[in-house]
Amino acid sequence: MQGRTSEEKGDVFTLLERIKNDDREAFRELVSLYQKRIFLLAFSFFHNREDAMDIVQETFMRLHQKIHTFREGENFKSWIFQVAKNLCIDHYRKNHSKRKEWGGEQNLEEMNLPSENSDNSHQSLDLKMIFSRCLEKLAERQRMVFVLKHYNQLKYREIAEVLNISPGTVKSLHFKAVQNLRGFISPYLGRVQ
Amino acid sequence: MKECKKINKDLVAFLYGELLGERQQFVSSHLEECSSCQREIDKLKEVHAGADSLNEDIKAVMASVDWETLPAQITDTVFGKEVQETKESWVLGISRILFQPKLRPVYAALLVGVFLGALFTYILIRPPLQRQDRESLISYPPGFIEKVELEMARRETLDYLKKSQYLILDFVQTSTEAETSTWQRDFASQKVKELLSKKKYINQQLDKFKMAKAKEICNQIEFLIYELAQLSDEIPAWRLQEIHDFIEEKQLLLKIKLLEKELKQSEKSEV
Repeated sequence: MQGRTSEEKGDVFTLLERIKNDDREAFRELVSLYQKRIFLLAFSFFHNREDAMDIVQETFMRLHQKIHTFREGENFKSWIFQVAKNLCIDHYRKNHSKRKEWGGEQNLEEMNLPSENSDNSHQSLDLKMIFSRCLEKLAERQRMVFVLKHYNQLKYREIAEVLNISPGTVKSLHFKAVQNLRGFISPYLGRVQ
Repeated sequence: MKECKKINKDLVAFLYGELLGERQQFVSSHLEECSSCQREIDKLKEVHAGADSLNEDIKAVMASVDWETLPAQITDTVFGKEVQETKESWVLGISRILFQPKLRPVYAALLVGVFLGALFTYILIRPPLQRQDRESLISYPPGFIEKVELEMARRETLDYLKKSQYLILDFVQTSTEAETSTWQRDFASQKVKELLSKKKYINQQLDKFKMAKAKEICNQIEFLIYELAQLSDEIPAWRLQEIHDFIEEKQLLLKIKLLEKELKQSEKSEV
C-alpha cells in the first residue's frame, strides 16, 4: 500500500511538471486521477449534482492557474482538497443567503415525515432527507470536517492539512459535528425506524 | 464515572477508527463492561447509519457522471479559457497603456489641436462668399448704397473741377508770360494724363446720376485738355491765342466756379 502511494506521488509530481510546461495530456490525466474525489467532497457537502460539477471544474481551473505555486514536497492531495474546500465554502456562502431568501431551506418540521403505514422505501427516503437537512444545519467547519471524514474517509491528520488546523481541533470539530447531528436527528429516529 | 466522561469524548474518534492502538483497545474493553457508554456508542452509530443512508444517493449520482469524457471537457475548457484570457490580457494590457491617467492631458491637448486644425482648414479651404451672400450677410437701409455712390460721384467731380481749374489758370498765366515750353513739359508729363483718366471714371458716374450740366462742362474741359496735350515745344502764337479764345468764349473758369458752388450746395442741402 505504501509502495503504491509513493508511486502515485511520483506520478503526480511528474504530471505536475509536465502541466507546468502546458502539457494538455498531463492535465487530462491529473483530472482523471482526482475528479471523483473532488466530486465526492463537493457532492457530500452540497448534495447537489450541478453544484458539485461546478466545483470540480472550478477546482481544476484554479489548479491550472496556481500550479506554479505548488512546491515539491507538499502533499498534493491535501493541496487540491484545500482548493476544492475553499471553493465549496465560497460557493456555499455566495448561495446560502439566496437559498434562504427563496425559501429553499425547508425546516425539518415542515418535511413530509412517514406515517405508520408507510413502507420501508419511503422511510428510507425520508431518513436520507432528514439527514441531509440535518447536515445542512451544521456549522461550516463542522460540516466540512464531517464530510471529509465520513464520505471522503480522510484521516484527522489529512483533514488538518486541508483545513490548515491542528489534528486536535479536527477531532474536536468532528466530535461536535456528530453530537449535533445526533441532537438534530434523534427526535425523528423513532418515527422513521 | 469520571472515566466514562473521558471515554465519551473519544467515542466519535473510536467509531471512526482514529484512536491510537492502545487507546482503541482500552475504549473497546470499557464498552464491553459499561452499559452507559454502550448506549452512547449505539446512539452515535445511529448517526453513522444516517450518514451512510446518503451513500446510495452518492453512488447513484457518481454513476450518472461520464467520468471518461469529463477530463477532456475540463481540459478543453481550462486551456480554451487560458487562450481567451491571454488574448483578453493582451488587449487589456494595451488599453491600460493607452488609457493610463497620466496620458489624459496629452489626449486632451491632441483633441484641442485636432479641433483647431480642422477649424483653420475649414476657414482656409471653404469657398469664398459670393457678392450676393455678402450682401445677404450685411443689411443696409434702402437707398443707402445709392446715396453713398452719388456722394462719391459728386466729390470726384468736384476734385476734377478743382484740378482742371488750377490747370487752366496755370496755362493762362504761363502762356502770357512766354514760358510755354517749360509749362508744356510739366503739364504734359504730370497733370494731363491724370485728368484724362479721371474724366473717364467720372463719365460713368455722371451718366448714372443724370448730372447733364456737369457732364457738359466736364466735356468742354476734357476737349481743352486734349488740345493742351497736343501742344509741342514750339507752339505758334496763333495756336495759343485760339486756346485762350476758347477758354474765354466758353467762359470755362466761370462755369467751373458756378458748378463747384452748385455741387457744394446740393451736398449741404442733402445733408
